[in-house]
Amino acid sequence: MASALEQYVNTVRNLSSQGNYRELCDYLGKSNEVLLKNAPHLDNVLETLDLQQHSLGVLSVLCAKFNLPNSANTADNKFVQAQDFINGCNGEQIRLVPDLFSELCHSLTAYLIEQKQPMKGILLLKKAISKLQLYDSQLTLIHADLCQLCLLAKCFKPALQVLNVDITGICQEGSHGPNGAQFDAKYYLLYFYYGGMIYLAVRNLDRSLYFLEVAITTPAHAVSHIMLEAYKKYILVSLLLHGKVQMIPKYTSQVVNRFIKPLSQPYHDLANAFASNNSVELNAVLNKHTEAFSRDHNLGLVKQVMTVMFKKNIQRLTKTFLTLSLSDVASRVGLPGPADAERYILHMIEDEQIYATINQKDGMVVFRDEPEKYGGPEVLKNLETQLALCMELDRQILAMDEEIQVNPQYVKKASGMQDEETPSKSTYAM
Amino acid sequence: MPLSVQNVMFQNAVEPMQVDAPPEDNDNNEEETYIVENPSLDLEVYANSYIGLAKLYRLIFIIDHCPSLRLEALKMAISYVMITYNVNLYQVLHQKLAEVTSNSSIPDVAAQSTSQDVPTIDSMWIETRSKKAALKLEKLDNDLKNYKSNSIKESIRRGHDDLGDHYLDCGDLSNALKCYSRSRDYCTSGKHVVNMCVNVIKVSVYLQNWSHVLSYVSKAENTPDFVESQTKDTNLLTSTKLKCAAGLAELATKKYKSAAKHFLQANLDHCDFPELMSANNVAMYGGLCALATFDRHELQKNVIFSSSFKLFLELEPQLRDIIFKFYESKYASCLKLLDEIKDNLLLDMYIAPHVNTLYTQIRNRALIQYFSPYLSADMHKMATAFNRTVSALEDELMQLILEGQIQARIDSHNKILFAKDVDQRSTTFEKSLQMGKEYQRRTRMLILRAAVLKNKIHVKSPQRETTGQTSEITVAPGTSTVLAARN
Repeated sequence: MASALEQYVNTVRNLSSQGNYRELCDYLGKSNEVLLKNAPHLDNVLETLDLQQHSLGVLSVLCAKFNLPNSANTADNKFVQAQDFINGCNGEQIRLVPDLFSELCHSLTAYLIEQKQPMKGILLLKKAISKLQLYDSQLTLIHADLCQLCLLAKCFKPALQVLNVDITGICQEGSHGPNGAQFDAKYYLLYFYYGGMIYLAVRNLDRSLYFLEVAITTPAHAVSHIMLEAYKKYILVSLLLHGKVQMIPKYTSQVVNRFIKPLSQPYHDLANAFASNNSVELNAVLNKHTEAFSRDHNLGLVKQVMTVMFKKNIQRLTKTFLTLSLSDVASRVGLPGPADAERYILHMIEDEQIYATINQKDGMVVFRDEPEKYGGPEVLKNLETQLALCMELDRQILAMDEEIQVNPQYVKKASGMQDEETPSKSTYAM
Repeated sequence: MPLSVQNVMFQNAVEPMQVDAPPEDNDNNEEETYIVENPSLDLEVYANSYIGLAKLYRLIFIIDHCPSLRLEALKMAISYVMITYNVNLYQVLHQKLAEVTSNSSIPDVAAQSTSQDVPTIDSMWIETRSKKAALKLEKLDNDLKNYKSNSIKESIRRGHDDLGDHYLDCGDLSNALKCYSRSRDYCTSGKHVVNMCVNVIKVSVYLQNWSHVLSYVSKAENTPDFVESQTKDTNLLTSTKLKCAAGLAELATKKYKSAAKHFLQANLDHCDFPELMSANNVAMYGGLCALATFDRHELQKNVIFSSSFKLFLELEPQLRDIIFKFYESKYASCLKLLDEIKDNLLLDMYIAPHVNTLYTQIRNRALIQYFSPYLSADMHKMATAFNRTVSALEDELMQLILEGQIQARIDSHNKILFAKDVDQRSTTFEKSLQMGKEYQRRTRMLILRAAVLKNKIHVKSPQRETTGQTSEITVAPGTSTVLAARN
């Protein structure tokens, strides 16, 4: 038994020192069973390997440890070991086996969630992400784990730093495998779903909607529950932000229209009631579907939709009226009394959602036009930054286009097509 | 409701082998029941302008919606139905009559005098009529068979037409439709095709199958012979028929503007289509639809100065006054006149479902026109001009502003309506910034999507090992069977 482990240690050492990592990866893939069988001695193995030099070997052992059925004696040190490993491992070696490394992170996440200590892993996973990434805007499998931990810990700042970077590339996993195991759609969806939830929690609705939209527009041949939940939230966030359900892009896969929409009927009912601007109707829908909403853990959002409707109605009033009495506001918006109306209007004035003054003596509200917003240097600055952003994106697109233009495969196909076309054209001419 | 009668017929009709689409797009289903109290309608004159089923249906509509004319209309309908073979309708009418007489017998003094001449149900008549109808049917059927065996096209066509006429007389609409459309195969000239189309249109109107009506109208209008000999008298007759039918179909499908255009092309001298509508109807339908949908210029050009439609308007002087008052911006009297004719309109089976929509559209148009030259308007004055209370006017205006039809804001405190001046500079800034944001968002998504497609990320159906990794939601690639269970 021990000899098998010895052999493992020796092989790892030899191959690592020769720098023959590819072969080592193959070997690790096969030796998984050996490690699992010799569970009690794994700690000894770890001691004989060096974090920096034998990162691959250590990684394999740690994965095995996390995969073991939870035995009491080894449970305690494995977190510390994983922590040391992630902090000290060699990034270059790790990137050869992103799937194994991600697996370790998934296990670690699961372990922390089980221990109810999500906070402990946040910084660690951030570190892990940066180790695995080639560049900042690359999506890894670990992103989803980080977001999950942040959500559970209700600590969003670390996640926001990651989320704010727009993804432009995706970390290919399993470069060693013969058929190149693909990036799992589950973690992709989870990242954008959790991301949407985090942005929702910090009230960045715009970004939240973007993330959820990404989630529901993912190519799909089957219904994913993540997409379903994302779609439900998408409707609610869309109502909160725009006051209506945004059109889903055309490239959304058929699955969404065919299966997911019918499954989200309560949400569509809500959206329809919202569109009617009638608080009574909205309340009726809310009461009818309360069970569904609370089962989906969306009741809070639904209640926010309620208040947003009042606000939206008040905003509509500002478009049509110059002055209006508070009681009229209440009756037109569907609020119980002038006092409620006053409260809403006060909040909205404070949030600069409307521009108005309340005259408490007559109980009148005077709606004003928006003050001149577009004057002064800060507007210019804002414009310039926006322009720069647009130009940067445009540059990026051009670069991508160029990349395709010079892609040998593309060139071959494009020119090949032309070769086929020209003779056919000439025959047609004849 | 007339629907109940029609539904009975539909049920009879749908059963046997159905060649044409059943009248499913009949959208009168949600029609509300309402009661008209004080119509100023002269029933006798009204009924005399129609013949055939049109007369019966219109009378039935009045029976259902106007208690004061109910008895008279019933009597008229029954005496008219006696000269047809429509035994079914006869029974239905008697049923209605029975209901009316049993209800009104107690309090009504007038009932005593009328009860003497209330017709009683004549079972003998039913029997003989049914027999006669059957006999006639058999004869026509035999004739048709003979024609067919001799294979003379013209006779076969006529045989089909006769059979169709007979079915229509018996109230069997779907069979009538079938016979009329069958004659299509035996048409030898364009005139026959047009004739067939008119027949089909007639039955389709009775069936309220409006899409059918429209398709046959265009079919008739595209028949080569019909297009060529446009000037002839008979052709003007049919073209007016077709225009009226098309207008009616557009009206029923709520396309008021095209309905108005169709009606406006009708020609009074050749408006003879008592199986569908009278010239008065054309004037009323066309005038109201035009008023509701035309702008000022169109109204002037196509209605007021139209030499052909002017003649129609003479038939309905009230409507003529309404249109002129509207054009002269005397809205109060215009709206008052409109209210006066409302009761009668509500007794017209084709326009009744649309009266309220048309009236609101006319009102809105008036409000918009009223305010268009002003920068600010006193709502009190406006309210008197429109026969409304100030608060009701405020609601109406609010709706129009929200729909973007009036660019204005209301000062509810001083009750003044101010035209809104739009700050071009701000809106331009706002728009361009928003466009920029939108561009960024879309481009970002594009780049991301390119990466996704490059890496072939997609949700696959075969279920992977579900490792219960997430605590909040169930695991990713669920199959539809899982969802079905969840449902």
